[in-house]
Amino acid sequence: MIPAKFDYVKPSSLDEAVRALADGGEDAKVIAGGQSLLPLLRLRLSYPDLLVDVGALDDLRGVVDEGSSLLVGARTTHYQVVHDPLIAEHCGLLAQATQTVADPAVRHRGTFGGSLAHGDPAGDLPAVVLALDGVMVIRGPGGSREIPAAEFFVDYLTTALQPGEILTGVRVPKLGGDWGYRYEKFHRTAQAWATVGVAALVRRSNGNVAEARIGLTNMGSVPLRASAAEAAAAGAEATRDALNAAAASAADGTEPPADLHGAPDYRRHLAKVLTGRALAAAAGA
Amino acid sequence: MELEHSFTVPVPKNRAWDVLLDVERVAPCMPGATLDSVDGDEIHGRIKVKVGPINMMYAGTARFIEKDAEAGVVTLEASGKETRGAGTASASVHSVLEDRGAETHVRVKTTLNVTGKPAQFGRGVMNEVSGKLLNIFAANLAATIARDEGAGGEGGAAAGGAAGTEGSSAEGAAGGSAAAGGAAAQTATAGTAATANGVAGHAAAAPGTGTPVEELKLPPRATASLQREGLRTAGQVAAKTEDELLAIDGIGPASLVDIKDKLGELGLALTAGTGGPAAGPAQAAPAATPASAGPAAAAPTGSAPAGMAASAAPAASAAHQATPREAAHQLEDDALNLLKVAGLPVLKRAAPVLLAVAAALLIGLTRRARRRKR
Repeated sequence: MIPAKFDYVKPSSLDEAVRALADGGEDAKVIAGGQSLLPLLRLRLSYPDLLVDVGALDDLRGVVDEGSSLLVGARTTHYQVVHDPLIAEHCGLLAQATQTVADPAVRHRGTFGGSLAHGDPAGDLPAVVLALDGVMVIRGPGGSREIPAAEFFVDYLTTALQPGEILTGVRVPKLGGDWGYRYEKFHRTAQAWATVGVAALVRRSNGNVAEARIGLTNMGSVPLRASAAEAAAAGAEATRDALNAAAASAADGTEPPADLHGAPDYRRHLAKVLTGRALAAAAGA
Repeated sequence: MELEHSFTVPVPKNRAWDVLLDVERVAPCMPGATLDSVDGDEIHGRIKVKVGPINMMYAGTARFIEKDAEAGVVTLEASGKETRGAGTASASVHSVLEDRGAETHVRVKTTLNVTGKPAQFGRGVMNEVSGKLLNIFAANLAATIARDEGAGGEGGAAAGGAAGTEGSSAEGAAGGSAAAGGAAAQTATAGTAATANGVAGHAAAAPGTGTPVEELKLPPRATASLQREGLRTAGQVAAKTEDELLAIDGIGPASLVDIKDKLGELGLALTAGTGGPAAGPAQAAPAATPASAGPAAAAPTGSAPAGMAASAAPAASAAHQATPREAAHQLEDDALNLLKVAGLPVLKRAAPVLLAVAAALLIGLTRRARRRKR
């Protein structure tokens, strides 16, 4: 279907883009890869008055080494994330999860920042950034600000981004060699959204799990951390049984959605099973 | 899908009951909702839903299908259609009030059914959205009931706040509650709303006649055309017949409908001239619709529940109200006039065919004529 009428600008600098967005107010929308927004436009579920294309802002593209962390530009495509050597070396979880995003065509056009700013709880990357304790770098009319991922995802398709603000990048910590990781995704077809996804990071020490971080995809209206399971896994033996036992509390406190792909109970069950698998793989058990 | 909410409000059951049945107070509790008109138990309204990049708009009607004050049970059924799409939404809202002395416990059970694109978009978008909306609604409703308790006696204070605009609406004040006056005053521009007569709900024809044509909010072209003809006031326009207006350059059937609409809002109608079948809606309207005096008058209709005009909120929403007749027009607008839309193109395509047939006939006839000559 043909989208409703909208104005379109393609600024050549970030400041210009922020100004255009601020002028457009509530009904202006950033478009980057367009892999989420265009379907919404074409289904006529979304009626922005103005699209601000950030496609010409090459500063927002690529990965920068900042010493103890990496700054991943918002316009970096999924394909680039998957193949970036810095990410592969320091933040393999991100590459692994991004590899499961939709299909190759989407991964070539869709962007890392776009996926996060869309705030879809079924998207893979929000839960991953949450598990990584990423920091969102935001530029608005009043300057730059940074907020932790945990405060960024506010509600269903809703983020802490104010009208006029652009997500410019995400700072993710470099993980040392003692960290293991795994993204487990359950979906019906290869390019589908996750029915449930689990991102697990585990720091090992002497055959035990010293620290675990677990992010859940599509288990609520925002990506979630499975805090109960994280606490249970911390200090546990790095064995399948012990980690499965810890994963039993993975769905605690969640209110997963009900839709064609699964009922809430089914999703809670999946969360436990997938968390067990992800923890085991991350811990090398 | 089914959703359940419950909340407790610090007012006795009978007070909570009054509020719950007061559409004008309940409607503003729903985020994005606008009341168009209230006609007895039938409520016309719109709701705008925005979630992140998604926005949807539904227009429809709601009706009380069960009101049992004894048991404290009220059921509201609503159904609507997407204004920019083919989707539909329907809901049944079943509320049970439970007396707890000075407090009232309210349980709200909602059954929701959504079709169309938003539903197909799948992944439970609608569940998420409606669940959120109802959460906010329940919270707002609880706050509204609680606040009204604090506001004291039946709407007096609230109405005072609403009336703080311009006090030119004597008719409205006479029309029963003070709040109704407030509602009228909010939208009353001198002359236009002055015909509101809340008591009987009938329109008095005279006062609107002095309204300048430019204040009728007609399309610019129609306004200019009328003025060119020396028609400066609504009264002068009303003195014309339909045919006389149509004869004016720049006034077509569409403008005529507009003009009749706007006059109808003032309680005026065109002069019944050569008549014809189209004498129609505008003339019938003032008698048929109790609220024919236009936006401001829609609130204080005689048929509205007595308690309904008792807060500041309805005054605000009254500004958006349209007469039921306008709603009917919107419905008609939905129907596609095929002839209007496709008539000319069809004729255009038919033209060559007709020409060809004519040519063939001509050739055939000439041949026959020649043969006869021989």
